[in-house]
This record gives sequence, structure tokens and C-alpha cells, in this order.
Amino acid sequence: MFLAFREMSRAKVRFGLLTVALGMLVFLILFQTSLQNGLLTSFVGAIRNQTAPVLVYSVDGQRVIQGSIITPDLEQLVEEADGVGEVGRIGQGTFSATNADGELTDVTVLGYEVQDLGAPAELVEGRYPESAGEAIGSSNDADAGFGLGETIVVQPGGYEITIVGLADDVQLNAGATLFVTYGDYVDAVKSVNPDAGDPLPNVLGVAPADGVGPEEVVTSVNGQSTDLDALTRSDAADETPGVAQVRQSFQVIFLLYGLVIPCVTGLFFLIITFQKSGALTLLRAIGAPAKRLVSSLLLQAVIIVAAGYAIGLALYTPLSQRRLGGIQLRFETTAVVVWAVLLLVLGIGSSLISARRVLKIDPIEATTGGANR
Amino acid sequence: MTQPALQMSDVRKVYSMADNEVVALDHATLTVGADEIIALVGPSGSGKTTLCSIAGGILSATEGSIAVGGEEITDYGDKELTTFRQNKVGFVFQSVNLVPFLNARENLLVVDELGRREGKPARDRADRLLDELGLADRAKNLPSQLSGGQKQRVAIGRALMNEPELVLFDEPTSALDTELGQQVMELIRSEMKSRGTAAIVVTHDERITSYCDRTVHITDGVLNAD
Ligand SMILES: Nc1ncnc2c1ncn2[C@@H]1O[C@H](COP(=O)(O)OP(=O)(O)OP(=O)(O)O)[C@@H](O)[C@H]1O
Ligand SMILES: [Mg+2]
Repeated sequence: MFLAFREMSRAKVRFGLLTVALGMLVFLILFQTSLQNGLLTSFVGAIRNQTAPVLVYSVDGQRVIQGSIITPDLEQLVEEADGVGEVGRIGQGTFSATNADGELTDVTVLGYEVQDLGAPAELVEGRYPESAGEAIGSSNDADAGFGLGETIVVQPGGYEITIVGLADDVQLNAGATLFVTYGDYVDAVKSVNPDAGDPLPNVLGVAPADGVGPEEVVTSVNGQSTDLDALTRSDAADETPGVAQVRQSFQVIFLLYGLVIPCVTGLFFLIITFQKSGALTLLRAIGAPAKRLVSSLLLQAVIIVAAGYAIGLALYTPLSQRRLGGIQLRFETTAVVVWAVLLLVLGIGSSLISARRVLKIDPIEATTGGANR
Repeated sequence: MTQPALQMSDVRKVYSMADNEVVALDHATLTVGADEIIALVGPSGSGKTTLCSIAGGILSATEGSIAVGGEEITDYGDKELTTFRQNKVGFVFQSVNLVPFLNARENLLVVDELGRREGKPARDRADRLLDELGLADRAKNLPSQLSGGQKQRVAIGRALMNEPELVLFDEPTSALDTELGQQVMELIRSEMKSRGTAAIVVTHDERITSYCDRTVHITDGVLNAD
């Protein structure tokens, strides 16, 4: 203890710089974790946080809601599949619309037939639509002219939708997203293109029958036709094109951090162990047990990693709640805990190389000054 | 305490190299009385440091037996030797003697911190030693802020911190000028005598021997008393 603290207090700059460097890396790691999750949520939050436990796409849709079309034949096959309880249509359209501020923007409208099969699972404000022309918006877009009580006009055609409820993290494709009843959705589509007739549903929300699990329903629906592609809610979100690629890119980045951090701490402690090998040899020669010198080194490693982590966390916390270009960041508690443990292990692990050097010191070198070479 | 501070009998030390062997100590037999100060004089490479290292438990002998203050250390392993050095001997080395990132007082305290951990009595002892060595006002200085003579005095204090049976001084004055060397020798003598601690003082310098009770010469690893 004595040795570890004295050395650090006499070399504040050196240890301070390492701590700050670690702090920066920790900040980047945590920030990017939030960024990754925020990014993915803005892409597929509407799928992840809706109520239908199973979503059925057409194979042609390649797991994109708007690309999928469920024909009446397919719809019937789904309804007849074993283990299927309730089935509800879901439609998606992307429209140009003027928001409450009068600006023309793109808006994604999701229509659900049954509230338990496609509406946002939870509202943070307001209520679910009760009559035509009412919608649930995403709280992420509330500041961008999609707030509670505001009216959006779909163009051309002038179909009006008023936001009566807000839900967290229910965007699709990182844009303004509204949930309406299926009838409203059909009316909106028709208002833009009166000659098109009734649109077909894009996907179906399916609830398993009592006592049946979502996985079983997925298997039985997929068994009905090679044209059907049923997915559980979380699979549907994860298998949306692009999600896996985004995850993979971030994983590469995290892996690099996982390599850089032990390299930085390991090299640092190796260098200072080399630099003070004369002192360490002297201490061994006058009867300091090697174990004590090693625990002093490991204690320093733990202190540095912990302090670096604290700095990183202090930088991360205020930023973690912010919105960043339409992406809502969140404080990622799990990531904070997991990285703390991981970095502590990596930091200590990397300083073990230095510990090995300390253990190898031969006190006889103190008599010749050989350790000073 | 009637046990001799050091009893070496027939100690041999052979350094084996790739193609030849160096006999650094050859059948060395030496007894140092409980409060005796011995001067060990000999040319460079004659085996002085080797003898001190063996007596201090830093190096193991090839043959022979060694006892310090009655404790037989001949067959000790690494761990036992570490504990032995921690408790029984004091060292002042030829080269590095102080931990650069510890101040004068801490260089004394570290002996206790990494050793017996007595706490308060050790802190009192460190302050008393610094006082005796004329370093009371330098206690907070780092080694880099001390003169050569002051550093050597801190090293002496460090060597006495564990209240050893035997202190080994390897050329304690070689880096100092004549006058300073004599002052340091005077200090060593008074510190040893006031405690009744035995010491071996290695030196090239015949003038230093006058501060010692007895002189032992060493040539090519062979000891011969005056
Ligand atoms: N680790 C070693 N390996 C091989 N030979 C060694 C080793 N250490 C010392 N020697 C040899 O042992 C002999 C005695 O060395 P030692 O260091 O004891 O001499 P010394 O009397 O202290 O010399 P000096 O006055 O120069 O310090 C020398 O010939 C030296 O070269
Ligand atoms: Mg020598």
C-alpha cells in the first residue's frame, strides 16, 4: 500500500496521464455502446416495442415490412396454422406530410388492426387512438413537430392525423413514425392515391393460442407455405436488413478497444517496472518479499483502471441522455457494469507481465548495480 | 548475546560460466564477534562483494556453512533467506541504495512497511536514526535532492532500521571525498558501537581501516587476517 501510493504521488503526471487516457477510452466505449443501441432503436424500435409476439412477412419482402405483401391466400394459411390464436393486419406506408410547424417531411405510418397485435406496447403520454384520424407518435420526434395534440396533414390529399399518445423508442427507419388504426391507415393511403383501391396488409401480427409459445407458432406458420416468413418480435427486429451489419461494425470497434486498453496499461506498467527495476532489486535485497512488490503493482493497476473508469463514466453520463441527430441515446447500465468488470480484468491481466518481471528479479543484482543496466 | 555475529567456515563460491569457472571465494573462514567492526580489504575482483552477499543471505555458497547471530542459514531457500534479510542483516550497497521515489524518511520506513510492520515504534526509530545521522531537516527530501554524503547517511539509517545483528557496508565511502569519507566512517563506528552491532566494512582504502577493530585481507578469494 505504502509503496504503491507513494510512488503514484511522486509521479502524478505519469500516472495521471495514463488515467486520463484510460478515461477517454472508457468514454468512447460507453458512448459508442449508447450510439449503437440508439442507432438500432431508431431503425427497428417500432418492431421491437410493438405488441405482436410474432410477425409474419412474405418471403419476397426480405424482412422489410414495406417490401412484404400478404395476399388473402397467405393470410388464410396463417389463420389456419396450428397454435395461432389471433391474427391482425399491419400495414406500413411512407408519406409526405406537413407537421405541426408546417414543414413538409417524410412520415412513416404503421396501421394495426388489433391493439395487441402491432400497437406500441407502452405509452409514456396520452392514450391509444379511439376514433379515426388519431395516432400515437414517437416521443423521439415530439420536438420535431410531432408532439402530443399536434396535427399532421398527409400530402397530397390533406388527410389529417392528430397525435393523441406518445411512446418511447418506436421509430422505424430513423424517421418520424405514427401508429394508427388499420382503417385509418387504409384511408391515408387512399387519400394520397384515390385510384389504387384497398392496399393489401404488409405483415401480420400473430398471437399464439393459449399454452403455445411464440417459437412454436413461428415453426407452424413457416410450415404452411414457403412464401411465409414468420419471426418472433425480437428476431424480426434483429433480422431487419442492416441491423446485423451495424452490430458487427460496432463489435469490431469494441474488440479493438478490448485490445488497445490492455496494451496501453500493460506497456505502461512494463515500462515503469523496467525504469524502477533498480529500486525493486534493492527492495528485494533488503528483504521485501516479491509477493508484496507484486501486490503493490497490481494495486496500482486496479487504482488506475478504477480511476480511469470513473473519469470515463463522468464524461459519459451527461452525454448519455442526449439526442444526437434524431438518435435518442440512453444510459446503458448493463454496458457500464460489463465493461467495468472486463476492463478491470484486462487491466490486471496485462500488468501480470510486469508482475512476472518483478518475480524474476534476483536480489544479487543489488550488489553489483546490475539491475541499473 | 554471546553468539558471534557471523561465523563462516570453509565457504567456497564458484561462478560457473559457459567455458570456465571463477572461484570468487576459496575456503573462506571468518568469525565476526557480536559487536566487532571488521575491515575487509582487497583489490578489485578479489571477492569482497561475494563474501558480503553470502554473509547477508543474498547469495548461496557453493560449499561451507554460514551462521549469522547463531542462525544457521547455509541451507535456506529463497523465502527463508528473504525473511532472514528482512530481520537479521543490514546492507549498504556499492551502487544503488535508495528508492528514488521515496523521501529520506520513507526510505527508512519502507524497511518496516515491507517487513515486520511494527508501525509506530518503527516511525519513532526512523526519526531517531535520521536525527542521529544529522538528517532531521532532510527527512522530506527525495534522494535526488540529497548530496552524496547525505545519501550515504540515509543508506546507513536504512541498514539499521531492522535492528540487525550484522551490517554489511560495501565500499560505503568510495563515492565520497577523503574528508567526507572519514566523517561517514566516524558515523558508522559510533552508530555500531552505540548499538553493539557488528559490521563488515569493505574498502580499498587502508586509511578507513583505522575506524575498524580488525582488518581482514582478501586476495583472489582467499582470506588472511593481519
Ligand atoms: N555473477 C557473476 N558471475 C560470474 N562471475 C562473477 C559474478 N559476480 C562476480 N564474479 C566474479 O567473482 C570475482 C569476485 O567478484 P566480487 O564482486 O566479489 O569482487 P570485489 O572484490 O567486490 O570487487 P570490487 O572491489 O571491484 O567490487 C570476480 O572475479 C568477478 O568477476
Ligand atoms: Mg565489490
